[in-house]
Amino acid sequence: MLAVMEKELRMFFRYPLRVVSSIIVGIVFLVQFIFFGQAVLGGRYSSMLAASTGMGDYPTYALIGYVLWWLFTSPIEAYIFGIRRELQRGTLEINMLAPLRTIKFLIGLSLGWILIDNVLMGVVFLFGVCLFKIPLSWGIILKAVPIFMLAFVAFLGFGMIFAGLVMLFKNIGALGQIFEFLVMFLSGVFFPLNVMPYWVRAVGNAIPLTHAINIVRGVFVGKSYAEMASSLQALLLLSTAYWLISYGIFRWAEKITRVVGYGGY
Amino acid sequence: MNAIEVRELKKSYPKKIPLPLRRVEWIEAVKGISFEVKKGELFGLLGPNGAGKTTTIKMLTTLLEPTGGEAKILGYDIKRDAREIRKRINLVAEGERTLYWRLSAYENLKYFSRIYYVPKNKEKGRIEELLKLVGLWERRNDLVMGFSRGMKQRLAIAKALINDPEVLFLDEPTLGLDVQSALFVREFIKKLVEEHKKTVLLTTHYMAEAEELCDRIAIIDHGKIIALDTPEGLKRMITDEDAVEIKVKDFAPSKLERSPFRMAVVKEDASTNMLLLRGQVVEEELPKLVEWLVRRGAKILSVEQKEPTLEDVFIKLTGRAIRD
Repeated sequence: MLAVMEKELRMFFRYPLRVVSSIIVGIVFLVQFIFFGQAVLGGRYSSMLAASTGMGDYPTYALIGYVLWWLFTSPIEAYIFGIRRELQRGTLEINMLAPLRTIKFLIGLSLGWILIDNVLMGVVFLFGVCLFKIPLSWGIILKAVPIFMLAFVAFLGFGMIFAGLVMLFKNIGALGQIFEFLVMFLSGVFFPLNVMPYWVRAVGNAIPLTHAINIVRGVFVGKSYAEMASSLQALLLLSTAYWLISYGIFRWAEKITRVVGYGGY
Repeated sequence: MNAIEVRELKKSYPKKIPLPLRRVEWIEAVKGISFEVKKGELFGLLGPNGAGKTTTIKMLTTLLEPTGGEAKILGYDIKRDAREIRKRINLVAEGERTLYWRLSAYENLKYFSRIYYVPKNKEKGRIEELLKLVGLWERRNDLVMGFSRGMKQRLAIAKALINDPEVLFLDEPTLGLDVQSALFVREFIKKLVEEHKKTVLLTTHYMAEAEELCDRIAIIDHGKIIALDTPEGLKRMITDEDAVEIKVKDFAPSKLERSPFRMAVVKEDASTNMLLLRGQVVEEELPKLVEWLVRRGAKILSVEQKEPTLEDVFIKLTGRAIRD
């Protein structure tokens, strides 16, 4: 598994320009949303936003949503594009032939990407913190880190669904991106969900990202874990559910793939 | 003892991904083939493109699940014991994109040694030995993307030996290689069997290659084995008839379909409208064949009697040349 990860990292850094472009795209995306939000709200602070979410500082509100959304999409992209890259290189079958278990190969493939992606996300986050003077303290960081880790476990399980699907359907990059942007809309990344219709909120509650965002925003406004128990419970429950669902899908996809083939060498 | 045992192996592919509640049509690619390969034998699967050779290799290497029948590699069942088999076999796949082009030759072998669980203390030595064996040690730190097709194939062979497999599958190992590289690969394959005592199953559609390398050959066409013997044994099938090569001009190959003679097009030159026909004809029948061709507008450029080859065996059995 580590060998697969090392191989991916080695090849990634043979295209150094990719690092620069990823950071620039990330920053541009974030900055335009925050400036747009401030323009609509009439400034950085919104009492309307504070009344509905408990957090009135829009840059902080948006930055938390954006960083967690990035963390959420990272495993999905890692699985989808990891397999697609192997298919394009023509090396997928030759890897499947090795005694290394498929699941280990896939995790190794995605871990390299996730690691790179999260370092890039960290750079964009720090840029956002400096540019928008986000009130960040060691207390907030220490309290938020376990939530990020818990959320990441849930996101990994969620992303595994795509690992199964990509094995079977191969080229699902476009589908994955549609899904990622849909989740941005459904999870309240840049605007509060309580302004949305009931059904949107219901769908949003089934996505682990929604709860992770609520908890981290709560941490930033000084709420205790106990005050956010319902969101924490939902995150734990969804994490378990998605791991089970994705494992089932993966095993089924693996079985069907051996019938239809891995995509040819 | 047999290294490979195949009984009535079948494979059908679905036209679409078989999702629940979806009616799917299936295409038969391999229609119940049986053969054995002894330990240390170099066995060939010879047939035209689309005959089912690659599908057979993919089933035997556990990449594809068969639809029917059974097969054992070194006593392990391909359906139940995939992981055990994978530890003991390896494959040189068709085509040049089976390596990581943005890694060096050394990095490629290092990666594959890890996913084949080569013990850490043996890794360095094994990689060095293999790179020297295929003549790439001096180029070990160069990226594969800068290698020629022949060098890539040599590295692919080294990669396939990384786990010291007992059984090696070679799928069209010389396809697309220049003469010199193909020669190197063929000599190397011989060495693997003779000196390193490997069992090799090779697929090819090059007659001469099969004839030169293989101890026994199974001729496969439309998913079925139509003949299986040593190269000499196969050629004995046509010793009662002579192999004839006729060079003609202005003749439509489709007319051969209604011919009473077993002839097939082995070479075609569209720019000069010339065809090379080959088949088996007893000496007394030769004038009749020439007359038949002339009546259908063919200009005869030459008629030559040839030593029978595996190409003739295939033409006799199928009425087609293998290039079809």
